[in-house]
Amino acid sequence: MKKIIKKYKIILIAVVLYAVVFIFKRDIFLTAVSITWDFLLEMLQVLPPVLVITALITVWVPSEIIKRGLGDTSGIKGKLLSLFIGSISAGPIYAAFPAVIVLFKKGASVSNMVIILSSWAVIKVPMILVEINFLGLGFAFTRVALTIPAILIMGFLVEKLVKRENIGEKTRDSVKSVKDIFSRLPNLNCGACNYSDCRSFAEGVFQGEATMKQCVILQKQIQNGGQTIGRETN
Amino acid sequence: MATLIMIILAVGFLFFSIVKSRKKTKESVLIAKKLFLNTFIEVAGVMALVGLVLALLPPDLIKQLLGGESKILSTIYGALIGTVTIMPAFIAFPLSKSLYMSGAHLVTIAAFLTTLTMVGVATYPIELRQFGRKFTLVRNGISFIMALVIALGMGILL
Repeated sequence: MKKIIKKYKIILIAVVLYAVVFIFKRDIFLTAVSITWDFLLEMLQVLPPVLVITALITVWVPSEIIKRGLGDTSGIKGKLLSLFIGSISAGPIYAAFPAVIVLFKKGASVSNMVIILSSWAVIKVPMILVEINFLGLGFAFTRVALTIPAILIMGFLVEKLVKRENIGEKTRDSVKSVKDIFSRLPNLNCGACNYSDCRSFAEGVFQGEATMKQCVILQKQIQNGGQTIGRETN
Repeated sequence: MATLIMIILAVGFLFFSIVKSRKKTKESVLIAKKLFLNTFIEVAGVMALVGLVLALLPPDLIKQLLGGESKILSTIYGALIGTVTIMPAFIAFPLSKSLYMSGAHLVTIAAFLTTLTMVGVATYPIELRQFGRKFTLVRNGISFIMALVIALGMGILL
């Protein structure tokens, strides 16, 4: 029950606020609903293809390939590839999160991950056409020309400031053995184990509610002869 | 358009996958389904809240803040409003144009557009769960500063 409340917390808050607005300001309620509806429609179009591609990469593409293309030693080619992946992809930044995490867990560098996320957000090939249409050629091109180096610098800075091991950790204060279990999980938060995310699953395993066998992705790796999808232990 | 290409790509890859291995495909679809449900539950609530904020925050108010006398102040407002809200491109660009028409400076609009898409208070909880606190804070912080730098550069060039 507690788990369910935690999972739907934001939705519950939203429902309460909408109810309040419905009672006091009917017109604002209707505007908000129509804006939310547009958001949801966008999400329904964008999320399924992005997540299907993400899942296929998880299952099919070996870590070595991702590491070679986007890893720490991929150099300028890796950066250009990251810019390319980000700018041709559709959808808002939240659609990029699960896809990027998969690439990271398979060996993409922190800097390339930031480059994909940022270019996914701000440089969009189809969006640039809309931008030219509304704000003019000069504006759009200057913005993109300034944004590309800015994104490369951001990748560099984030990589300097955040260590690989710090990524994917939600809290610092949990018990060490939960952490140990967690560190063995792929942290894709796919939920196939019936827990909302990998951290709750690790807690479940720690408390004896669940076993590691319930992690579908981990099981798959074992079948594949121990090839690691999850965090590298180096 | 890009969405259509993504859908075609996804279907194409999926088809390839089925030809090569039915079992692996089934697994992929299962993972995709779980990822979708999780992301949907998470994002839907956030979107509902953003929708409410946008409805409460009328375009006129945004225009007032962004088209103010002080260029620096409006640019900072632009970056801040962009940070706390998310807007799909189809709303953001027309709004930017009408902001420009009603007197907002291009620098302000550049800051607004960049933080709008790259920095997210609204998507913060989602990013936090997937990437951890440190990464999320550092990425959003640096992105915010970079958005101001980009805006500054636009001010110099245009």
